[in-house]
Amino acid sequence: MKDHPYLRAYMAGVLLPSWFLLLVLAAFLFSHFAQLGPARLESAIVFPMAIVPNLWGLWNVLYISLRLRGRISIGAFGSLLPLILVPAGVALASALDLHFYTVRQAAAILPIAMIVYYLVWKYPVAFFNRIVELRS
Amino acid sequence: MNDDDRELDLIRKQLRSALPPLSDSELKVDLWPRMLRRLEDSPAPFGWFESILVGLVALTLAVFPELLPAMLYHL
Repeated sequence: MKDHPYLRAYMAGVLLPSWFLLLVLAAFLFSHFAQLGPARLESAIVFPMAIVPNLWGLWNVLYISLRLRGRISIGAFGSLLPLILVPAGVALASALDLHFYTVRQAAAILPIAMIVYYLVWKYPVAFFNRIVELRS
Repeated sequence: MNDDDRELDLIRKQLRSALPPLSDSELKVDLWPRMLRRLEDSPAPFGWFESILVGLVALTLAVFPELLPAMLYHL
């Protein structure tokens, strides 16, 4: 299994957010039908559904293609991803006129997201990379 | 041998001539030890630093549960 390292990196990166998406989707649907969430919450699902998993895959491809192993740990590299994702999420929420997610909330969630991403990239994503024979 | 049998025989011969037999269909190496090595590769240890981080996240989300939807939004 030595061919297509970038495809393997993309698949290893996409896997976890794709699984987690099911939970997010269930939470979104529950809040929609129970009318617990704010109006137009369903429009927000496009972000975790389309953008987050693809960015995870591309981030892992970037880590492998730049040969960053040895210079920066995969956990630390993964923790940088929210620096792109959080502003992108705010921009999308603003473009879709979703008022439930504000810049203030984004600033509050950024360090938490970075910690969560650090842990998730250090353990599950690194495990998936090992399984597809990518050294991370 | 009737016409059908002859036709089948002809097709069989043509197929055999078109597809040469695989001379070396066995794997050259045993892949199982490699798979075992990969599964046994020791993951990064879960130390006190990671435990503190998990506790910090849990505490923050417990104190500020309104941040949970925003967190889900980014996962």
